[in-house]
Amino acid sequence: MSAGLVLAVAFGGSLITYILGKVSSRIRDVFAVLVSLALVAMIALLLAGDGGNSSYFDFLGLSLLLRTNMLSLFFAITISVLGALSIIFSLSYIRNRERTDFYYLMLLLINAAMLGIVLSGDLLSFFIFWEIMSWSTFLLISYNRGAALAAGMKYIVMSIFGSLAMLVGVISIYTKFGTLNISEIAAVIEQAGSGYVVSLLILFFTAFGIKNAILPFHSWLPPAHAEAPSPFSSILSGILIKMGTYGFILFMYVIVGVNRFIDIGHGVLSFRYILSILGAITILIPTFIALLQDDAKKLLAWSTIGQAGYIILGIAFGTSVSVAGGMFHFFNHSVFKGLLFLAVGAVEYRTNGVRDLNSLGGLIKKMPVTFTGALIGACGLIGLPLTNGFVSKWLIYKTLILEQSPFLAFAALFGTWGTILYSYKLIHNVFLGQLPERYADIRKSPLSMQLPIITLSSIIILFGIFPGVPLKIINSIGVSLGFDALDVSLWGIASESGTLNVINLFAAIIIGAVLAGIVLKAAPKSVTVSQEDTYAAGAAIPKDRYNYTMNFYNPVSRMISPYLKDFIDAFYMKLAGWTQGVCSGARRIYTGYVGHYVMYIVLLLAVLIFVQLRWSPW
Amino acid sequence: MQIVHIILSLLLALFIGIFFSGLSRKIMARIHWRYGPPITQPVIDLIRLFNQRGVSHGRLFDLGIILALAGSLVVVLLLPVGSIHPLSGSGGLLVILYMMLLAPLGIALSGGEAANPNTSIGISRKLLLAMGYEVPLLFILLAVMTHYKTISIVQIVGMQQETRWALVSLPMLLSGIAYILILPAVLGVRPFEIVQAPQEISSGPMVEFGGPFLGLAMIQHALGLYVGIALFVNLFLGGAGNPLTFFIKMLVVFVLGIFINAALPRLRIEQAIRYLWRWPTAFAFVGLVVVVLLR
Repeated sequence: MSAGLVLAVAFGGSLITYILGKVSSRIRDVFAVLVSLALVAMIALLLAGDGGNSSYFDFLGLSLLLRTNMLSLFFAITISVLGALSIIFSLSYIRNRERTDFYYLMLLLINAAMLGIVLSGDLLSFFIFWEIMSWSTFLLISYNRGAALAAGMKYIVMSIFGSLAMLVGVISIYTKFGTLNISEIAAVIEQAGSGYVVSLLILFFTAFGIKNAILPFHSWLPPAHAEAPSPFSSILSGILIKMGTYGFILFMYVIVGVNRFIDIGHGVLSFRYILSILGAITILIPTFIALLQDDAKKLLAWSTIGQAGYIILGIAFGTSVSVAGGMFHFFNHSVFKGLLFLAVGAVEYRTNGVRDLNSLGGLIKKMPVTFTGALIGACGLIGLPLTNGFVSKWLIYKTLILEQSPFLAFAALFGTWGTILYSYKLIHNVFLGQLPERYADIRKSPLSMQLPIITLSSIIILFGIFPGVPLKIINSIGVSLGFDALDVSLWGIASESGTLNVINLFAAIIIGAVLAGIVLKAAPKSVTVSQEDTYAAGAAIPKDRYNYTMNFYNPVSRMISPYLKDFIDAFYMKLAGWTQGVCSGARRIYTGYVGHYVMYIVLLLAVLIFVQLRWSPW
Repeated sequence: MQIVHIILSLLLALFIGIFFSGLSRKIMARIHWRYGPPITQPVIDLIRLFNQRGVSHGRLFDLGIILALAGSLVVVLLLPVGSIHPLSGSGGLLVILYMMLLAPLGIALSGGEAANPNTSIGISRKLLLAMGYEVPLLFILLAVMTHYKTISIVQIVGMQQETRWALVSLPMLLSGIAYILILPAVLGVRPFEIVQAPQEISSGPMVEFGGPFLGLAMIQHALGLYVGIALFVNLFLGGAGNPLTFFIKMLVVFVLGIFINAALPRLRIEQAIRYLWRWPTAFAFVGLVVVVLLR
């Protein structure tokens, strides 16, 4: 099994899917699912084997390389699993919509490009796959037209800006070192001066920061996530933005190297510290903006920015525990945010596109599987014990506290409180509370939607109780990057200053629940009544008249909303408007009269002659 | 031995929690110049409630309250009482912080299945109030953890036993004061009785609970009282060598708290948050800065 074969299947599969779609939509669906499952299996096989570099193509004298190691395979397996589940979810979501062939082509192409990014062994292939990903993402974000077109435009403009920065970086590396092979660059970069390394990092981190939606580069993300088709939102939020994370890890720890990276600058002005602070800000502000959202997908989108902050904070902080926490949180976030977007997508599918939190409610009995999935996803997002999110966040908190950075720890911990508030708002306003009359005969989600939801929920619980399974892989990545090994057991992590043992907690909660359950069972049996049969202090509550979910956090949102305007986005929009103004002003010189053009030429010559006579610079 | 410790700490927590609920009603009544119910009133209520028939709104309604109680029980096991600390090696203060979430979340999920506006209002208030006191509380806990350079609550207690109480050691003083200022909000007693507010929203999240459900919710509330005070005693009053000193320390804190709170009227939610984000936060923040500068 080689990485080349994986990419061949991924890219070939996407094209064949498109062609098959012209024949029959059924065959296309089956084939798309098969391709995505085959990718999962192949990467799992690669994970079992040993890594290495392999050349696949020579281009202008540069040999393009693929490489497989633990780091790239860890990302690849996440990409392929979430990609496969999202394709399965799409089967019913996208049926009866137009341009379905195009949809599948793009979805598979994005997956293939992302696999290409993490498997590429040189910066040129990295850049090429990065561009394939960016452009196909743009096409898929705009799939719904309308508001989605503007969202896609915002994405691609910011993305191009990032790509240009990256291109400059790539060219600069080639002219300086004469190679684009990642492992060769890592070997020779020690000779380069500090100033060069910092400017290189800034160039690349602009590209990765935009993809990863770190403040102040986040503003493309909320509209893009909200307007994209839901199965794609889950890929977008779950793994696509994490390509930025991969890039960060690649440059910080593979190319520049752990010791070199940590030594850049010192004290508060060190590079890693500044990046950590950016991560902390990225946690705090978007989390509270998410609280104010009334659109389920917008809420999740802002939440994605906030959670990406945790990942960056963990990775940039640069201790072995924090980097492990950051990488584990990348994986966890992919799982639970993917799950939440799918759950919201299932609701959207059954209610014909309603995602307004103020008009939904009470769907728990109508869509029990979707509700359970959303609840488990929300618990993971909060990081409740016994979910995977708890372990990764615990690692990040612990290292921040013990490394004496309490203010960064405060950002991380307080961000979690905001997370609780918006997660509960999401669960409550969609699934709990009163069921509006118009949703009385809504049906539960189809099997092809339930399957991914159930799979992802099981992963959250499974890795919440056995965090050792992924942590062992992450630990071996950490060791290969040059970090100290962690003492990982199947149940958690041990160290001299605070151990985590999930199985104790699991047992305790189960015993507590059993105790409470026995007490409840021993008491006289309760009568189950309908949800409208409530106590209202003697006055009956009229059905369907009031909306209890409107402005759920009104007392606080009134207090904090003036401070939480998205000033950065407003600034970008102003910049865009200003640029447009200048350009349309400049366009006026093209009058169409030859006489005017002749006049411009004469004027320019006159100015040049004047300058030459006055200062004689030439 | 482990099993004995587990049972012992659970029984102690139940006893203290329920005793405090009864005691607070008696003391409140006396301050208000009433006679008040007997101190055993909560026990009588519990026996009555567990013999009544409850009304349920569905499966999540049952599961939510069970989850809430289970969460509180686990927190009790994580808090050391003297040398009794059955679950202390499972993640330290950070786990306690998270486990304290399960109780309100369980109650919220349970109440959420009914379509009662009072429940929704109550839950929204509970989560907002928690966010209000969480800002100073996090600063306080971080100050404690930074000062003692550990996340294990047993070690924090141990270090205080060796030297002196955190409340009277200089760098922790401001944090201790801040904790005292937010303690009533953490416990949910007056003037922060906003969540239940019986006269306004008929006990908010609890409005739909009756019979055994209300019984479980009462036990959970009693455990909540225990947890809030026990955390303060462990972090700032040096914990205790044996359960009796622990109990006496808790009693002093609780009774002093009631004397102050009985005289205050209930705040509105905005007022409560404004209060919590002003003085307690200022104290807690300066406390953390002091700890960081003095480390």
